[in-house]
Amino acid sequence: MSSPRYHTVFITALCTLLCVTLFPATLPAAALSEADKACLGCHSSDQTMKFQNGESLTLRINTQEIEKSVHGIIGCTACHGFTADSHPWDKFRSKKEFSALNARRCTQCHTLEGNAIHQRLTNGLKASAVCTDCHGAHTVKRVRELSHGNQYCLTCHGREITVHYRNGEKGSILVDENDLTESVHKNLSCVDCHVRVSAESHPLRDFGSRRDFALVMAENCRRCHFDKYTKTLEGIHFKVLSQGNNRAPLCTDCHGTHAIASARKDKLANAKRCRQCHSGIYDIYEKSVHGAALIRENIEDVPVCSDCHRAHDNAGPHTADFRISVPQICAGCHGKEEIMRKYGLSTKVVDTYLQDFHGVTMKFYRQYGANEKQIAVCIDCHGVHDIARMKGADAAVIKANLVKRCQKCHPGATASFPDSWISHYEPNIKKSAMVFVINWGYKIFIPFMIVGLVLQIILHMWRYAVNR
Amino acid sequence: MNNTSQEYIRRFGSFRIVEHWLNAVTFALLVVTGLSQKFHTYELSQWIIGVLGGIDTTRLIHRYSGIMLTVMTVQHVLVASFGVLFLKWQPSMIIQLKDFRDAIDNIRYYLGLSEHPARCDRFDYKQKFEYWGVVVGGMLMIASGLALWFPILVTRYLPGEVIPVAKALHTNEALLAFLVIIIWHIYNAIFSPEVLPVDTVIFTGKISKKRMIHEHPLEFERMFGVSLPPEESRHTPADTETVEAAQTVKNPSSTA
Repeated sequence: MSSPRYHTVFITALCTLLCVTLFPATLPAAALSEADKACLGCHSSDQTMKFQNGESLTLRINTQEIEKSVHGIIGCTACHGFTADSHPWDKFRSKKEFSALNARRCTQCHTLEGNAIHQRLTNGLKASAVCTDCHGAHTVKRVRELSHGNQYCLTCHGREITVHYRNGEKGSILVDENDLTESVHKNLSCVDCHVRVSAESHPLRDFGSRRDFALVMAENCRRCHFDKYTKTLEGIHFKVLSQGNNRAPLCTDCHGTHAIASARKDKLANAKRCRQCHSGIYDIYEKSVHGAALIRENIEDVPVCSDCHRAHDNAGPHTADFRISVPQICAGCHGKEEIMRKYGLSTKVVDTYLQDFHGVTMKFYRQYGANEKQIAVCIDCHGVHDIARMKGADAAVIKANLVKRCQKCHPGATASFPDSWISHYEPNIKKSAMVFVINWGYKIFIPFMIVGLVLQIILHMWRYAVNR
Repeated sequence: MNNTSQEYIRRFGSFRIVEHWLNAVTFALLVVTGLSQKFHTYELSQWIIGVLGGIDTTRLIHRYSGIMLTVMTVQHVLVASFGVLFLKWQPSMIIQLKDFRDAIDNIRYYLGLSEHPARCDRFDYKQKFEYWGVVVGGMLMIASGLALWFPILVTRYLPGEVIPVAKALHTNEALLAFLVIIIWHIYNAIFSPEVLPVDTVIFTGKISKKRMIHEHPLEFERMFGVSLPPEESRHTPADTETVEAAQTVKNPSSTA
C-alpha cells in the first residue's frame, strides 16, 4: 500500500515540524534586515558617547542579544525612529535623560493604559524608572520571561525606586533579598503577605503616610497568626491604637517586615524593639541587675520586657490585675531551683513572702477578686525596672533606702521599721535567733503539754471506769 | 436515797457567769479569725475567711475581739486585785505548793497507788492551771497582738526584730491555747464522765452538794463546819451518814 510518494511527503512534514519546534530562535537571525546591518556596521565596534554631565555610554550593540530579543524582528528603526542615512547628532544631559527619551518610543506600541503603576513610574523626565530599566533595551523581554516567584516581584522591588506618600513622606520599594532569605518566612512568597497583588494585578495604592501603609500591611499577619491577633485585642497597644494613636506598635514594629525573625531567639534584640518607644525605661532597665546581666554578661536567664509584661496580651502595667500578678511573675523564675541555683539565689524568697503578712493578704485579695486593694508585692520593695542586687556592696545602700519604700504604705515608719521583715530568711540561729528559739520552744512544748494532758484524761477515764 | 445530787450551793454570781460567757465568745471569735489566718493554706480557713467577707474583715473582727479580750483581762485583774486588797476576798486562785502535791496525789490515785484523790479547796489545781493559762496567756497575746497591730508605733521605740518575735509568740501561743481549751477544758467541761453531757455550774452558778463534796471537800468542810472522810472524794461516792448530816447546813453565799 505504501508508495514512495507518500514517504517523501511524510519525511518533509516531519523535518518541517522539527525545524519549527527546535530552531525557532535561530529564525530571526536570518531575518536581520539590510538596514539593520547598516546600523551594526558602526554599532558593533567599540565607541562611547559622552554626556554633558560627564557620564559615558558604550555604543557597541551585542548582535546576539538583539537576535534573542522579542524585538529581534522589528528592526532598529522601529524603536530609534531613524535610519543609518538620517542619523541625528544629538547631545544629552545625562544617561538618564537619554534613556527616558528613548523609552518614550516604547509607548508608541505598548500603551500604559490600565497599568497605573507603570504610568506613575514612567511619568515625565523625572520619572523614577523608564521601561528599559526593567525590561532591557536591546535585550528586551517580558518580565514573565525574566523571572518567576519572588524574583518576579524583585524585578521591580529589587530597585531603589522612591514612592511618595500624600503627606510628603518618601519611601523606597526596595526589598533586600537577603532579608527575605534569612527571614523565618523564607519559604513564603511575597503574595502570601501582600495579598492584594499578584503577577497579573498590581493595583496602584495611595497612602496618606508611611504609617498608614504599615497599618494596612500589618492587618495581613492575622491571616496566619490569628491566635496572636486575638491576644493583642486584650493588649494595651491595641487599645491605644483603637483610640486613634497610630504610633502604637503593630506586629511589624516588633517583628520586622521582610527580615522577620523569631522574637524568642535573641532576647536583647527583643528588648531593643521595646526601646524604640520606651527608651527611658530601657535606660533604667539597662542598669538593673537583670538588664546588666543580659547586656554586659549575655546571660539569657534574665527577664526582658516581654517576660514580665507579656508580648501580645500586654494589658499594661497600671492595672490592678497586673499588679497583683507580680509575685507570680517573679516566682516564674525566682521559684525555679534549676535557674536560681546557677546564680546562688534562694528560691525561698517566694514562700517566705507568701507566708508573711503581705503575701497572705495578696493571696486572699487575689482569691476573692479584690485585686484593686493595695498590698506590697515584690516590686514595692525591690523596684520595677531598676531592680538591684540585694547582696554585695549595694546591699547596705538599698537597705538604707528601704524605709522610704516602707513609708509609701506605712507613713511614719522609722529606720528600724524595715527590720520587722526578716528579709526572706527562714529564721535560723544566726538570722533572727529569737524567732528561731521561740518557734522551736513551742514546737517542743506544745506536744509535751498536749501529751501530758491527754494522758491525764485517759487515766481519769480509766480510774472512773475501774471505780464503777 | 442520796439527796445531795439534788441540793445546790451557790458557787458563782451572775457577774462571773457573764464574764465566762463573754470570754467564751471572745475566745471563739479569736480562734476562728486567728487560726484561719495562721493556717491560711487550708481550704477550711479559706472558706471561713471568704464567709467572713475577706481577709480585711477577718482581721478587723480579730482585732475588735482582741480589744474585747484586752478589756476583759484588764477588768478582771483590776476587779480581782481590788477585791483581794479592799474587800477581803480570799485569793483562792493563788497557786500554792499544795496544788503541785494535789496533782501528784491525783495521779497516784488514778494509778491505784492511793485510796482517794487529792482533797481540793475552792479551786483545784486543774482549774488554777486553766485560769492562769487564760490570764497569763491572754496578756501575752494582748501584748504581742498590739505589736502586730501597731508595728510603726512599736518600732519607733523598740528594734524592728520585735515584730517577728511578737508574731512567733502570738501564733505559737494561740495554737497552744486553742489546743489546751479544745482538749483539756472541753473534756473537763463536757466529755468527762463526771459532768457529761455538760458541766452547768458556770452557766447556772449552782453546784450540787454531791459534786461539792467530791470535788471541793475542803471548801465544803469550811463552809459547813464539818469534817469529811477522804473517801468522799472518790469518783463514785457511796451514800454515807456524813453526807446526810451535811444536808442540814444552810446555803452560804458564794465567794470570789
